[in-house]
This record gives sequence, C-alpha cells and structure tokens, in this order.
Amino acid sequence: MALTTFQAELEAFAAAAQAAFIAAADADALEAARVEYLGAKSGRLKDVQKQLGGVPKEDKPAAGKAFNDAKTVVEAAFNEAKERLGSGAQATSREPFDRTLPGKRAPLGHLHPITQTIDELKDLMGRLGFTVAVGPEIEDEWHNFEALNIPAAHPARDPLENFYLSTAKVSTGKPGAAKSDAAKSDSGAPLLLRSQTSTVQIRVMENTKPPVRIISLGRVYRPDTADATHYPMFHQIEGLLIDRHVTMADLKSVLRLFASSFLGGDVHIRFRPSFFPFTEPSVEVDMSWHDDKGNLRWIEMGGAGMVDPNVLAAVGYDPEEVTGFAFGLGVERVCARRHNVTDIREFYRNDVRFLHQF
Amino acid sequence: MLVSWEWLKQYVKLSATPDEVAERLMMAGLNHEDTHAVGNDLAINLEVTSNRPDCLGHIGIAREASVLFDTPLTLPAAQPKASGEAASKLAQVRVDDAKACPRYTARVIRGVKIGPSPKWLVDRLSTVGIGAINNVVDITNYVLLECGQPLHAFDLAKLAGKQIIVRAAREGEPFQAINHKAYTLDASMCVIADGERPVALAGVMGGTDTEVSDKTTDLLIESADFAPMSIRATARKLNLHSDSSYRFERGVDPQGVDWASRRACELILELAGGTLAEGVIDVGAQPAEREPITLRFAQLKRVLGIDVEPTEALRILTALGNKGLKHDAQSVTVVPPSWRRDLSREIDLVEEVARIHGYDKIPEDVSVPMAPSHRTHTDRVLSKVKQALCAAGFDEALTLSAVEEPWSEAFSPWTAAAPLRASTPVLRRADRLRRSIVPSLLGARQTNESLSNPRIELFEVAHVYLPNINTGGGEALPSEELMVALTSGGDYLSMKGVIESILHALAPGLELEAVPTRQALLDEARSAELHVRCGGKRLLLGYLGEVSPAGLKQFDLRAGSTVAEIKLNTLCEIAELIPQYRQPPVFPAVTRDLNLVVDESVAWADLSHTAREAARPFAEQLQLVDVYRDAQRLGPGKKSLLVSLVLRSGSGTLTGDEADAAQKRVVAACQQAHGAQLRA
Repeated sequence: MALTTFQAELEAFAAAAQAAFIAAADADALEAARVEYLGAKSGRLKDVQKQLGGVPKEDKPAAGKAFNDAKTVVEAAFNEAKERLGSGAQATSREPFDRTLPGKRAPLGHLHPITQTIDELKDLMGRLGFTVAVGPEIEDEWHNFEALNIPAAHPARDPLENFYLSTAKVSTGKPGAAKSDAAKSDSGAPLLLRSQTSTVQIRVMENTKPPVRIISLGRVYRPDTADATHYPMFHQIEGLLIDRHVTMADLKSVLRLFASSFLGGDVHIRFRPSFFPFTEPSVEVDMSWHDDKGNLRWIEMGGAGMVDPNVLAAVGYDPEEVTGFAFGLGVERVCARRHNVTDIREFYRNDVRFLHQF
Repeated sequence: MLVSWEWLKQYVKLSATPDEVAERLMMAGLNHEDTHAVGNDLAINLEVTSNRPDCLGHIGIAREASVLFDTPLTLPAAQPKASGEAASKLAQVRVDDAKACPRYTARVIRGVKIGPSPKWLVDRLSTVGIGAINNVVDITNYVLLECGQPLHAFDLAKLAGKQIIVRAAREGEPFQAINHKAYTLDASMCVIADGERPVALAGVMGGTDTEVSDKTTDLLIESADFAPMSIRATARKLNLHSDSSYRFERGVDPQGVDWASRRACELILELAGGTLAEGVIDVGAQPAEREPITLRFAQLKRVLGIDVEPTEALRILTALGNKGLKHDAQSVTVVPPSWRRDLSREIDLVEEVARIHGYDKIPEDVSVPMAPSHRTHTDRVLSKVKQALCAAGFDEALTLSAVEEPWSEAFSPWTAAAPLRASTPVLRRADRLRRSIVPSLLGARQTNESLSNPRIELFEVAHVYLPNINTGGGEALPSEELMVALTSGGDYLSMKGVIESILHALAPGLELEAVPTRQALLDEARSAELHVRCGGKRLLLGYLGEVSPAGLKQFDLRAGSTVAEIKLNTLCEIAELIPQYRQPPVFPAVTRDLNLVVDESVAWADLSHTAREAARPFAEQLQLVDVYRDAQRLGPGKKSLLVSLVLRSGSGTLTGDEADAAQKRVVAACQQAHGAQLRA
C-alpha cells in the first residue's frame, strides 16, 4: 500500500472518530463510539494499524509517525468528549444522583439575640477602650440609691417600685403561709434586686483610683407589668469614663463613635436635656438616621450625662479634681428595634423557632 | 403637660410658629410628644421631667419660651380688691399635721353667683382636656394650669363651725370624694376636716359634702403646700391620682401659694361677683429664703467642653428668674427662684446655662485619648463554652431569675438554705430567687413541647442566688454564682459527652469524675455529681442526670430529658486559655482490641485507670468501643467490654514484642484488680 493511500485512510479514520466523539450526546453514546473507533479488540484503529504492515519499508518511519499523530488526536478528542459529558464512561455503572436533594445539616445552636446584641455592644465599646465590669444583682441601698444621689424621699425609692428581698423561711406547705424575714447584708442593710447597673459603677469607683473607663452590664429588675414593651427583668449596658478634663464634648464624641460603629456610616448625635439623679447635666441621646426616603430621622438611643459631683464625692473622688460621663441603654429595646421584634416578652419565652431566627 | 398655644401667648409674645416653639422647648428639656388642634387652638403635649414641677403650668412654660426667644414675660398682677370684714373673722384654720402641711392659706369671698364660665375660659380648659363645671370650679382649675398651684374652693356655708382643721385621718374614717367614690382612710393620710368630718383629702381631692354647687354663695379658697411624700403615699394607697396630687408630689412653688390664691380671687370677683374679705388666713411656716449659689465661669468649659461667654451665662440665669447678687470676671453669685427647687448647686447652674445655650453647640468630633481595654477571664471562658454548646446544637435561652415556690423546691443541689424572696413577685407568682437554673429550663422545655417543637436543646448562663453562704464581715452580700445549665432530649451519656467536650475545649486532657448523687428531680441510677481534677485539686463541677418520672410529671413533660448544671467558676479555674504547643507524636501507634469480661459492678472509670497504669509507658488512649451483654454466653451479671488500646512510644517505633508485653500487663492487671477475663 502506498504511503499516500495509508495517510488518506488514516485521515478518514481520524475525521470520522472525532466527529463521532463530538456527536456523542451522553456517556452511552460515547462508550459505543469508543468501542467502534478505539476498541482494543475490533476497533477501527486496530484495522488501520494492521494496514501499517502493507506500507513499503522505506516509508515505514513516516507512516508510523503519521499513525501515532492520528492516534493522539483521536484519543484527545475522546478525552475531551468524556470530560464534556462529566462523569465519563464509568458513570453508566453508578446509581442516579439528584443533586437537588436537601443537604444533611449540622444542628447548630444559636446564641440568644440579647446575648448577640450585648456581645456586639461590648465589642464596640471595647475598641473604644472600655473594659467590662460586673457586679452583684442583689444590692444594698447604698449602692442602688444613696451613692447614686437618690435620697430616701425620691419616688424611685418607693418599696413598691423595687423588689426588696427577704429570706423565705421553711414553708408550712400551704401556699402563702411561708414566713419570711427581711434579707439584710452582713452589715444589716436591707437588700433588693438592683434597679440599674449603675451600682456596678459605684463598686468599681469605690475600689479604683481614676482614670476609670468601664462598661457595666447585666440584668436589672423593676416591678413593671409585663407587656409588649415592658418586662420586670431586663438588661442594661452603661458606660462610665472618669478622668481629669473629661467634658460633655468627650461624651458626645464617644457616643458618636459608638453609634457610627453600631449603625455603620456617618451618624450624628443630638442631646436633649433630661433628668437622672446620678448625672448633672443629664441628657437624652438621639442618633441620626436616614430613612428609606433619605429623610433625616432622630431615634432615641439612651440616657447620658456628666457624673453628678455628689456621686463622685460618695465614692471618695474629688469633684474639683476629676469629671466624668456616664451613659446607658436598654439592651432589649436596642435588640428589639434591630431585629424588628415587636413584643419583648418573646425574648423570655424561649420558643426555639424564635431563637433559630437569630 | 398639655399646653394651649393661645393661652401660652397671653404671657409671652411669640413670632415663631407653634412647631418651632415646640422644637425649641424640646431641645431645652420639655420633650415634645405631639400637637393637635382643638377648636381654633392647638394643644401641645410636652413631657415634664420630675425635677421641673415649675413647668406644670402655662406660666412656667412661657418663662422657658421667653428665655429661649429672648422676649419678655408678662404676668397678671393678681391684686384683687378686698373690703369689709377680715377673713379671720369669718373662718378659722388650724393645722395639726404640720409635717404633711407646712403651710395653709385661706381667703373668703361672700355673695358670689355660681353660673357657667365665659367662652374664653371654657375654651382654654377644653384645649387642655378639662371639662367646664361652673365658674368657680373652672377658675380653680384654670389657676392650677396657669401657675401649677392646686387650689380648692369650699362652700363655706357647709363647713361645720366655719372651721378648717388639717389633721391626720382617723383609722377607718370614711370619705366621699367629688369623683363620687367612697374611700376608707387610715392614719397615714392627711385630711382637711371641718368641725365634724373630713371635707377633702389633702392635696388629692375635695369631698362631695362641701363642694361648690349652684346654691353656693360664700366660698373659702384653699391654697396650701403639702409634703410630697405624704401626698404620694396617699394617692398611691388609694389609687387616686389627680392633677393636684401630681403637682404636690413633685413640689409646688412655696412663694406661689399666695399668688395663686389672689389670682383665683381676682378671677372669681370678675366672673362670679361677690366680696373678698380682708386679708388672708395664713397658717404655718413662711417659705425660707434660698441659699445663694456661685457659678465659676471656668466650670462651664470644664464640664461642657465649650466656651460660653459670661454675659450669655448671666443673661440666661437672670432670665430664668435667678436674682444676681454679685458678679465679677470669674464668677457670679445668684439666689435661685423659689419655683426652682432643683437649683441648689453650681453644677445645677452649669446645666441651666448649657440647656438654654444649646447642646447643639457642643462638638461631637473632639479626639478622646485612646485607652487599652481587655476582655475579662470570665468572658473569654464563656465565649469558648458558648461556642462549644452552639456547635453541639444547643440554643441559648434566657429565663427569669425568680421562680415560683414549687420550682424553687424542685432542684437545689448547691444549697439547702432557704431561697431569698422578693417582697412582691417578679412575675405572676415567681417570688423566689432561684438557687438553680434547671427548673426554669425545664419550664422552657415544656413551652416548646406544647408548641410541638421537635428538637429542644437549651442552655442558659445565669446567676443562681445562694443565701447565707458568705461568712465574712463588712457588707457581704448573698452569694451569686454563674452557672451553665442545660436541658437535652438526649440521654445521660450524650449530655455527659457535651460536658466533656466543653472541658476539652477549655483544658484538653482533664477528665470528669462522676460520683452518685441523690436529687429528687433526677433518676438515681442515671445521675451524677461531677468533679474534675486540676493541679492536684479536686473541684466540684456540677450535677448531671436524667429527669426522674416524677420530675417529668412535675414539669408536665411528655418526653424524657437530661439536665445538667455546672459551675462557671470551676471552668474558669481549669481553663487553659493560651494553650502551649506540644509536638504531635512522630512514631506510629499500635492498636490492640481486647474483649474483657467483667462483673456488672466494675466501673469503667476504675477499669480504664488500671489498664492505663499497666500499659505505661506506652499507654496513649483506652477507648471503649462497645459493651456487650449475654447471660447465656457470658454468664449472668457479666458484661463484655470491647476496648481499643492505643500504644505508642515517644522514643521510637514500638516493636511487636513491646506491644505484646504491654497488652499482657494490661490483661493481667485488669484480671487482678477487677477479675477481668480476656474473651477470645
């Protein structure tokens, strides 16, 4: 057989094989084409290879090279087709697989939204140099009232506005029949559940020389009837900074950094005069907010002010020497607004369908 | 406080719009709630903080506006014309309860004609939501809302003995108030009585017997000062709150008592006629002079962080009614006005200057020095614990710190001391401060079961309150300890595994020790008190157990649950927050599986200890693969433990002989100590 005839046969084979591989629509068709053209026993490549023996001896090197080239091209075409069809020829032997079946989920637990809010606030304040401080939830009147400049005549001291404590004596078995003694600290002072976390600030200041830069947080208790916006237990977070030369401008600037970090973007702070016993001047803090239409809105953030000189004196600081600011916010309110929770009682119902949303 | 726009303008000329005025007032401390139209007038709703009772009348609001807009304030003279007999001849006043009533004044008008009020007066009252009754009553209401001083007009003819006695009520004394409700009084309350009976509940409400009627001709006009604490207690006890009690609770202007009386008389003479008797019956202490206050101008900058011109500070203080005594370049000394009892210190004056000058002048972009802050050890530990629990599929719950008595008694492993009790229940009947979180979590579990939620895995981190723990002196408070509590639908071992995972996250290598515990809430066989050994100490970690059938019943639970409560303090003590690197083993391990048959009474903890000791120095791990029981093949009371012994040497590849020898030592030791038999 002449070299040219062999080359022509070779070309025809290669073209047909390539076309067949390209045309294969699925793995079965490709496998059939592979058997036909490249099959080890009776594939057409074998036929062509046999004809190589009929080529004159002097043309054999050229014919051999041509054969190898053609084989490489055809094999490449096959591999390409195989790749195109994804799983390759072997897939025919595997079970069908539905890639849209649901995944197998790991049952991840969720942190309570109140905790998530607290963690974020703590984190933001931490970056501003405020270290977390905690203190007891059961307090004496000195820390809950006196040191905070809330005198005995103040309405906030009304026993009905607070949860005073007693020790429950051995129950007689009848409901309401248990006798009790007023609970007192070792020094004999009456005890109550704290009504604000400012108590922690007093405890820290009593034991620390200025400068002080802390946030206190935790559970506080007030006898409110539970409804969509009230619960007798809630969480407060309060910041305190005491040093020489601390001013209201510092307060406003820290709150602006805080609000900008929390909300993102450029937030502005507005003060409205207010009244709290432990600060003077006292202000309500608003932060600016652009609504959907781009209008400037002010939303209430919390209360703040310059620590009252009486409070500084109560903890042994010299009000002529140091000044300070304090601010506080209710965590439930921040959290409810952030997540669009319309009834804060949901926070304490612990329905896992609620908890899983956060 | 509802403010009538037209009324306000009687005292101060305002060119600004109502909205502008409301906005300025809000930014000076009177929070603007809303404004709505009433007839041709506007009712502006302003929130008045408890330190500013002077703003509970239109004049007080007008004064604020006059200062803010720098425009003069004009007040009525209140100089009624008196004639004839002296008031003291027509009526007597005696104050027995001077503590509750520091001052009582009375004026007498005779020959009035009771009738409807003129339209302007009806309109004024209607804007602020008060219905008209008759000219005299309307005038007392009008003056109250004008200056904030509550007044009361008695029908003099009905006062027995033409006498007013201010005294403590008698225990059980009945009283019929003008709201047509009957009240039973007690000795803590102050009443206005005549010669026979109470005719008014002091500072709170008048009585029906002596109220002004169409037939009334002679009046006794009361203007007094009552002690805030007394009024608050009475109003609260009787749940009877009025415009009058609201103002007395916050304190009225002691100098304004007489002005209000004169003002009311002036209006009565004008609108109802009659003759005002000469003079006033004025019993009690005259208001004390106020102490002067000095403001150092430098304090403005020190507190506010901005410069305020001394002239501006002076203008503000003077316009607010402070009387300047003296001033120089450094300071000013003033006497605060009688209606501002909230002003007594320098810092109070700083606030006055600041709020009128405007907080908007304070910058919000000063640079505050940086400071380091650190996360507390507890916070770091907690964050690892919570991470582990979330990964284990537990959701965090938050429950109330107080519980009802049955829950309080259901589980209290930490103390036998009685719980602390709140004077009033925190919510519903929950008045016991909890000594364990577990009952609350079982309550949350029940809520979720009732909602048919399929998977209920909850944890909470909170304080428990342990009374009588502290023994130290000083101001020691009851002990509060942070606990991590869990409830799961899984069994004892899966919950134990969760706790082991927590331990591993904090201090790899520490092992739990489980000893029996008796807790009524828990299944006795499937519960334990947990300890952990650390640095040679054995620390109490907590309690773990499957809830007993009785416990499930108490909490109304259908499905079983395992609970646990562990001490965060112990976790903090063992936590290794900055782990130190140890090189992983470089030589291969040899694993040998053994089937050891032992009596049921042999505890895994003991057997594994023996085995590990025997396999030294090659013991790396002893894993329990399976427990197999078959009375026929193993014999009764026996169990077969399939264990996997992992051996490794730190100094070279373990030879087969070394492994065999270690294995033999393990089998021999287990046989000797626990009667273990190797099963083929």
